[in-house]
Amino acid sequence: MSAAPNIETAPSTVAAARATNVMVVGVGGQGVLMISKALALIGQKQGLQVKQSEVHGMAKRGGVVFSHVRFGAEVWSPTICKGEADVLIALEWAEGLRWLEYLRPDTGVFIADTRRIVPPFACRSRRRGATMAYARETPAEVIDKVSEGYALDAAAIATGLGEPRAANTVLLGVLSASMGVPVAEWLAVLEMLVPPKSRAINHKAFEAGRAWAEAAHDDASLRFDAGITGDVTHADMAEVSVRLDINAAWCKGCDICVKLCPERCLALNDHQVAYLKAPQACTGCHVCEWLCPDFAIEVHTTHQVSMTVSE
Amino acid sequence: MNDLLEAPFDVKDYLRLEMMPHFMCPGCGHGIALRCLLWAVHELGIDKNKLAIVCGIGCSGRVGAYIDANTFHTTHGRPLAFATGLKLARPDLTVVVITGDGDCLAIGGNHLIHACRRNLDLTCLMLNNEVYAMTGGQVSPTTAIDRLTTTTPHGNAEPTFDACRLADAAGASFVGREVTRQAPALKNVIKAGLAHEGFSFIEVMSDCTEIYGRKNDLGESPEMIMSQKSDMRPEAFGNVADQPFRANRLRAGIIAQRDRPEYGSVYRQRAAAEQAKAKAKS
Ligand SMILES: Cc1ncc(C[n+]2csc(CCOP(=O)(O)OP(=O)(O)O)c2C)c(N)n1
Ligand code: SF4
Ligand code: SF4
Ligand code: SF4
Ligand SMILES: [Mg+2]
Repeated sequence: MSAAPNIETAPSTVAAARATNVMVVGVGGQGVLMISKALALIGQKQGLQVKQSEVHGMAKRGGVVFSHVRFGAEVWSPTICKGEADVLIALEWAEGLRWLEYLRPDTGVFIADTRRIVPPFACRSRRRGATMAYARETPAEVIDKVSEGYALDAAAIATGLGEPRAANTVLLGVLSASMGVPVAEWLAVLEMLVPPKSRAINHKAFEAGRAWAEAAHDDASLRFDAGITGDVTHADMAEVSVRLDINAAWCKGCDICVKLCPERCLALNDHQVAYLKAPQACTGCHVCEWLCPDFAIEVHTTHQVSMTVSE
Repeated sequence: MNDLLEAPFDVKDYLRLEMMPHFMCPGCGHGIALRCLLWAVHELGIDKNKLAIVCGIGCSGRVGAYIDANTFHTTHGRPLAFATGLKLARPDLTVVVITGDGDCLAIGGNHLIHACRRNLDLTCLMLNNEVYAMTGGQVSPTTAIDRLTTTTPHGNAEPTFDACRLADAAGASFVGREVTRQAPALKNVIKAGLAHEGFSFIEVMSDCTEIYGRKNDLGESPEMIMSQKSDMRPEAFGNVADQPFRANRLRAGIIAQRDRPEYGSVYRQRAAAEQAKAKAKS
């Protein structure tokens, strides 16, 4: 394959001209650093200088994690500049898009898991069926934009093998097909990085990713799954409309529903009776109904489009 | 049979609507406990004509008056005794006892331990608001240390009962606990207790907002119910043998469940055997 430099055959010439730059991005808990360490070890095994740097801000809480790996005969800076990554490998779909401008426009290789890990702040409306503030680009659109791109549901492949957490190793397998280092060397590095009890599954995951990539290299139509669309709504939730019946004669104005509604859409009126102040924010979660000590609220969820508010 | 079985849960189907709104104060946790009981009854498909609610005296005991089923408002501390007689005479009924911490652990404490020991198929819901609420806020066996009540004006100095450990030690074959804040979880614990064959003891952590909350400056109703959660940490349940009284943090959910002969069936078997013997003699 043409886009990524082949460090196996000519490390001294290619790498001397300039270092190979790989960016690995994702969110906390996905195993970004495992891929990054594997790359660094591969570089060292080739007798190259390696610089690896990483940022994992709120990693434990699903925050952004990214790592820069650079290797070559001589590498000085530990970080990659915009437009200079030879490979951008993303373990999470929107994270891949976030760093796209770091990719070399004419030769960069983009590899991404299409799995979406939607951060809480992308769910500004928790209503069923509400759309989220999450990247809308489809894999088809993105693959079209980059010089060479691969988008796969690595998490599904890993899950199919029986270990969802091996998605990063599937991606490592995909990456390996763009790097020209013999498979045996990758597997040796993998052995060093994973605990003995999960070696077998990681080996399988690597091979699965590698096989996917080899097929995709030969046939550009296999480089993304056309079934993946850009629509992002609350997964598997149908559009549901909510009707709240508040029985004023039973309400004692205790304020529990007002303070415990997760959306803060209830309030007490001048007579200390609860009313639905912000119907559009109500998700129909039933919390107010469950916690009203006086049975004064009924939440009715229906599949109609309209929404009525009664008091 | 019960036409309500197929319908989604509507609490009004199980309430005596002519008595609503109920007499409890704004924010009182007992109302939430009542919903959860009725919700569990509905989900188990129990026919309300086959449901008997036996209550003691207290705000908690008053809860039964609003249930559209066979209800029995008994005397202070004695609902378990009444329920025992009822269940032995009418094993076809689902018998639920609603009692308070004062009703169940103080004046009725002996009835509780023997009901646990006997293991008759009853479900006992103890609404624990840590106080004798109905009579104006006296100290109860579950009042936390340092809390103010009308009888502990300088703060309670008596150690606090852990009702679940008591029931467990006395042999209850099902012991559960949940807060009203976690209504669906509470419903599930009650459901499991109702489905269990044998004596089920369920402690419901409920809020007395008007008397206990006010006296102890525990905030308004929403603050009180929100603070329940922080008292319930399953992983922090550390009160082992050296800590006979209640720990600050309590375990929620199903705390104990064991197979023991159900007293009603044991009793009926013995009675049948005696009858057969008597017949053979005559
Ligand atoms: C034999 C007898 N003693 C005392 C009373 C007075 N009394 C009524 S309710 C109550 C305490 C109730 O406390 P609790 O069981 O915790 O119920 P709560 O009101 O807190 O729900 C007492 C002492 C009584 N009714 N009968
Ligand atoms: S159902 Fe009730 S608690 Fe839930 S969002 Fe609507 S008003 Fe708020
Ligand atoms: S929880 Fe019920 S009683 Fe309390 S304010 Fe809301 S509707 Fe009224
Ligand atoms: S006195 Fe306390 S327990 Fe009794 S109804 Fe009022 S808030 Fe509830
Ligand atoms: Mg009480």
